[in-house]
Amino acid sequence: MSQATAVREEVRREIGRRAVMETGAGDPAWLRARRDEAWNIYEATPLPSTRSEEWRYTDVARLLPLDELEPAAGGPAHAAALPEELRLAMAQDRESAGRIVDVDGRVVSVELDEALAARGVVLASLREAARAGVPQVEALLATEAVPAADGKFAALNAALWSDGVFLYVPRGVRIDRTIRLSRWVSRPGTATFTRILIVAEEHSQLSFVDEILSPDFPAVTLVNTAVELFSRGGAQVQYVSLQRMGEGGFYLANQRTLAERDSTLDTLNVALGGSVGRVDLNARLLGPGANSDMLGLYFGDANQHFDFNTSQDHVAPHAHSDLLYKGALDGAARGIFRGIIRVHEGAQGTDAYQTNRNLILSDTAIATSLPNLEIEADDVRCSHGATVGQLDAEALFYLMSRGLRREQAERLVVLGFLGEVLSKLPLGGVVEKVTQAIEAKLRYV
Amino acid sequence: MDDSPILTVTGLEAGVADEDLDILKGVDLAIRPGEIHAIMGPNGSGKSTLAKVIAGHPEYEATDGSAEFNGEDLLEMEPDERAQAGVFMAFQYPVEIPGVSIANFMRTALQSRLEDGEELDLFDFQELLMERMELLDMDVSFAQRPVNDGFSGGEKKRNEILQMAVLKPSLAVMDETDSGLDIDALKIVAHGVNTLRQENPEMSVLLITHYQRILNHIVPDRVHVMMNGKIVESGGPEIALELEAQGYEEYRKAHAA
Ligand SMILES: Nc1ncnc2c1ncn2[C@@H]1O[C@H](COP(=O)(O)OP(=O)(O)OP(=O)(O)O)[C@@H](O)[C@H]1O
Ligand SMILES: [Mg+2]
Repeated sequence: MSQATAVREEVRREIGRRAVMETGAGDPAWLRARRDEAWNIYEATPLPSTRSEEWRYTDVARLLPLDELEPAAGGPAHAAALPEELRLAMAQDRESAGRIVDVDGRVVSVELDEALAARGVVLASLREAARAGVPQVEALLATEAVPAADGKFAALNAALWSDGVFLYVPRGVRIDRTIRLSRWVSRPGTATFTRILIVAEEHSQLSFVDEILSPDFPAVTLVNTAVELFSRGGAQVQYVSLQRMGEGGFYLANQRTLAERDSTLDTLNVALGGSVGRVDLNARLLGPGANSDMLGLYFGDANQHFDFNTSQDHVAPHAHSDLLYKGALDGAARGIFRGIIRVHEGAQGTDAYQTNRNLILSDTAIATSLPNLEIEADDVRCSHGATVGQLDAEALFYLMSRGLRREQAERLVVLGFLGEVLSKLPLGGVVEKVTQAIEAKLRYV
Repeated sequence: MDDSPILTVTGLEAGVADEDLDILKGVDLAIRPGEIHAIMGPNGSGKSTLAKVIAGHPEYEATDGSAEFNGEDLLEMEPDERAQAGVFMAFQYPVEIPGVSIANFMRTALQSRLEDGEELDLFDFQELLMERMELLDMDVSFAQRPVNDGFSGGEKKRNEILQMAVLKPSLAVMDETDSGLDIDALKIVAHGVNTLRQENPEMSVLLITHYQRILNHIVPDRVHVMMNGKIVESGGPEIALELEAQGYEEYRKAHAA
């Protein structure tokens, strides 16, 4: 007996001009034009190769099968209930001033303290803000901070971003509680493109935690994030990224901070999850008295690969930047830190520091550290330093001589080593959350 | 009271592991519960090596002889097992552990002494730690400071005795704890040690020192002189006074390497 079945071929969506058009359907004309132009740049830009200094240790051609990835947004809608892991991570957070939840590249909920909203604070889905014609979005999205012209992936993101966060804090409004973005990626083999645009007007204050989680994936799954942070004169901004994806996750972030006169723009990048994590962070100090503390913490095991590419651009005189990235690497993990301090002509009185320290916990883990200086002004104070070391046998013996088992001793030394970074940006709940995540990882090591 | 030694070292020879270097060349030593023994001897004679071999430092290897602790073969035990069994060494050069607070360290050390699944009572722990810091005249803020990180020489030594007071060992090896302490601090530390001995009269002490002065405060039952990896003389506290007056010259002549 035969049965006639309608076989519906599922058309696999792929990264291409058609996806750009589909993603931009419903966008205002300026945005569609911007996407189009970004796609042109993407097509005209070669994939970064390991022959270039900046990508020497991360072979995207080999690690990232762009042709096989399916843009996540526009795929099947996520289940109504948030996944358990994400809910647990959210429950861990202390009180927040607001929260955005993003699943597979789409904002699914936005909450903001009503008193803040009444004072003009805007926390919104970036897509909706763009469509609603918010002037700052049109002016600042992919223009000054992370424009498409920045490189292959900046272009790809500018063409294909599906959603993200717009946070605007008006002049003089100081938010003492943290605003959070909780992100989840659910489908293997997809590519999620997200943007975060934050504008802190003069003398305002905010802290923002961007946390991403996912399950383990059987296939490479890309998350590409462009982060654009503006702190106007005298503002104080803290941005924290907690990357806790599962296996198979490929996290690729372009972050740029623009700090104007007497403002503070601090960042903390925590990389614990995913198979590959690449973060390009460019801090620009645009006015005298501007200050950026740049913190990083990574803990890799198995075959995890973390690559940080940072730059501290001192454009204005009398600004200060201080970078500290610390990583522990176990198993066959790989950590790469490449950082440069650029003191531009005329940036007298610059204070810029850069330190990268690595702790190697196995015979097969590798850390590469490449600090660099480029100084075109005199009267500057700059220093850079890098270390790659192993667990100190004397320290382990000291701890064990008090009764700690070897694993306990190692755990304390690693937590102590990495904890220095967290102690410098003690945001509500972040220290505890990251410490717990590291402890959980140490248990499996 | 059982009077068999808590620590019995017999013909112990030891050197640096993987290197052809003998440091201890046949040490004999027996310490009974509640006894205080002092070891004096010139620089480089092997005092710290003996202490570290007793504590289980992986850099050293016993090549001959034995060391028993409460009848168990000490040399077969890992450093943490020795600590759990009641051995404590106050380091001559305490190690800095950046980012790990004293409180966290001691909490983990006490937790490690409990059975699997048993949880340390944090309130009791806090109380013990505070009481011990008071005993040693330490500011409470010390508990949150990273272990030895940025401590002055004297603070490091005092921190060793704090750990000892928290962990309550049955055998305390104190390697030059008095060096680097000012006169007041020396008295405080000695008072701490004596308090522990009052709490537990069976606690034994092996005290390594260059100076007779500490022995006025912590009065030894036996004093040993170590030269060139061996104990060459043992006697009462009067030996320390003689050494203070005459130095090691006489021993040097008699026991040239
Ligand atoms: N790890 C090592 N590698 C090489 N030589 C060592 C090592 N440890 C100890 N020694 C040597 O063994 C000898 C004894 O050293 P030890 O530290 O035990 O002396 P000590 O009696 O404690 O001296 P001090 O009074 O100066 O503290 C010294 O000559 C020392 O250089
Ligand atoms: Mg010594």
